[in-house]
Amino acid sequence: MRLLAALGVIGMLLLFVWERVDIVRVGYRIEQLKVQKIELQREQDGLRVKVSALTAPDRIAKAATEKLGMIPPQPGQVVMVNAADSGPVASDRSSAVHVAKNERFWRKP
Amino acid sequence: MIGMDSCRGRRIALAILLLAGFTAVLGRLVHLQVLQAAELSVKADRQHQKAVTVEGNRGSIYDRRGKVLAMNMEVPSVFGVPASLDNPSGVARDLARVLHVRADEIEKKLRQERSFVWIARKVDPEQGRRLERLSLDGIGTVMEGRRFYPKGPLLSHVLGFAGMDGQGLEGIERRYDPYLRGEKRQIVLQRDAFGRTVFPKGLTEQGPSAGHSVLLTIDEVIQYIAEKELDDAVSATRAKGGVVIVMEPKTGAVLAMAMTPRFDPNSVRGLSADRWRNRVVTDAFEPGSTMKIFLAAAALDERAMKPDSMIYAENGKMVVAGTVIHDHEKAKWITFAQAIQRSSNVAAAKTAMVLGEDRLFRYLKAFGFGERTEIDLPGEAAGLVKEPHEWGRRTLASIAMGQEIGVTALQLATAVSAVANGGWLMRPYVVSEVRDGHGQLVAQVAPQVRRRPIAAETAQVLGTMLEGVVTVGTGSKAAVAGYRVAGKTGTAQKIDPETGAYSSALSVASFVGYVPADDPRLTIVAIIDEPQGEAWGGTVAAPVFRRVAEQALPYLGVSSQEPMKLALAERAGIGMVP
Repeated sequence: MRLLAALGVIGMLLLFVWERVDIVRVGYRIEQLKVQKIELQREQDGLRVKVSALTAPDRIAKAATEKLGMIPPQPGQVVMVNAADSGPVASDRSSAVHVAKNERFWRKP
Repeated sequence: MIGMDSCRGRRIALAILLLAGFTAVLGRLVHLQVLQAAELSVKADRQHQKAVTVEGNRGSIYDRRGKVLAMNMEVPSVFGVPASLDNPSGVARDLARVLHVRADEIEKKLRQERSFVWIARKVDPEQGRRLERLSLDGIGTVMEGRRFYPKGPLLSHVLGFAGMDGQGLEGIERRYDPYLRGEKRQIVLQRDAFGRTVFPKGLTEQGPSAGHSVLLTIDEVIQYIAEKELDDAVSATRAKGGVVIVMEPKTGAVLAMAMTPRFDPNSVRGLSADRWRNRVVTDAFEPGSTMKIFLAAAALDERAMKPDSMIYAENGKMVVAGTVIHDHEKAKWITFAQAIQRSSNVAAAKTAMVLGEDRLFRYLKAFGFGERTEIDLPGEAAGLVKEPHEWGRRTLASIAMGQEIGVTALQLATAVSAVANGGWLMRPYVVSEVRDGHGQLVAQVAPQVRRRPIAAETAQVLGTMLEGVVTVGTGSKAAVAGYRVAGKTGTAQKIDPETGAYSSALSVASFVGYVPADDPRLTIVAIIDEPQGEAWGGTVAAPVFRRVAEQALPYLGVSSQEPMKLALAERAGIGMVP
């Protein structure tokens, strides 16, 4: 009986010690993950800045005109076809279809 | 017997010794754990816990379509601990190579008798990585939030910029600083024997909240169009500068606010305040003939004039208070509508005289001149409209021509929008929403009517007259194919700072108008400051209006008002059903 009680006490002590050690271990792991999260957040922020800079309108326009030889559509080359009425609310939505002259995409062979 | 007694005595002595030892240990334990418990607990906390003040990230700024215009990113800041340096000059040379700063400046910092010195704050991440590879003793880095403006100079005057410590100093950054700033919070960390952070005390510590994000009414693409066309015009006319504003007349939302020259908010060091001042809101100027819009509005609204009222234009020359007023086009009898279309100064002066000082002043104030528009940008000027009792003998005629009155470009845009939208003076605004770090709406701006300066019928009649300016008048170069345009040209002489008189060489050329005239979607103000050569509003500023409008309207999905005719259908012989 005494032996069992002693073993029980020792078991409880071991459980207590294990719990304390585990808390510290989990604490270190949490900190490690937090550092990892911060690093990933920094990387994501860096990529967002990069994407935003790369999509700047002046850069796109420069690449389109100088690298790809594109030119802005001249007046009359783009006409708008509204699906609904042309009231201010309706035209505010993207209901308008951009139709470029000489484009054949709406004609099936 | 004697031997047994001595053995027992030793046992007793040992027991007493042990008992005394245990008593001493127990006593010390009670002393530490009970009597000194509170004091020692505080001491232990001080050694194991570390309190740090952390500031949440500054919020981002987006355009109306959610494109990032300003955001924070953590970058390294470099510091030194002078006491731990054996060879400050050698370390300074190594740092100078990486940071591109003069070595003697760094060495001077490293030789200071201080425990901590900043060497360079918020450097490029690549420079931070190179420093880490060098691993110099006594040199370290910490991460700090740095403001990035990924679009460079785009919208720079409106965005403004934030300082080294993350405080907004100009523009939106300054005006919305209380929203954009991250929360400052002190958090307590547990440290182990090696000084490593274990976890926040109580495991419940939350980091500080990030600042709110701000969504602008500005459209990045329209802003780019406005800036590009303005730059082209300023460069072609070798002008000093210029301004373009694009606004939704029905709401007062600003879609673009372009100025030239611009600056890059990523590197403002060395720039003067004059360079980053938002001249659209801070600078008042004499607008010239664009002021005739509001003179005409007052005359029509007061029924002092009708579009077909006849005015004798004095063959292009009239003397007022001893000075001669000229028209650039000689005419005798013209209608009021023709007077506006031709921008007749003589007819404008006569109209102002019919109206009288009090009525003209009342309408100028009603259109918002001489008072702030209350736009959500810092440093706004009220302009200058003198009280009638301060007016001289010529003032009435001068104001009719846009002289002796100071207005900001934004006041012009807001006032023209009132004509465009049927008579409502709106409060202009550049921020539409504020959202917290989780995307939840914190504040939303609704269009706000300030007052109604003119009746809807007046606005409609005036609109027809202003369409005439573009179809048959001085503003023909503002015409946009497929859309009806209403507007007015302006060419204002500037006062020569040396002579104090109006200069024949220095002028401000402008065009203000709206499109489509029958259902206005855009108000556009184009102003070119001191253009060289042919410097008329109709030749210099009107084309800027046209080029901005003809790109912005299709982008916004505004349909052309001309009947559609597809070239392909014609060629293919399909034809359209008549």
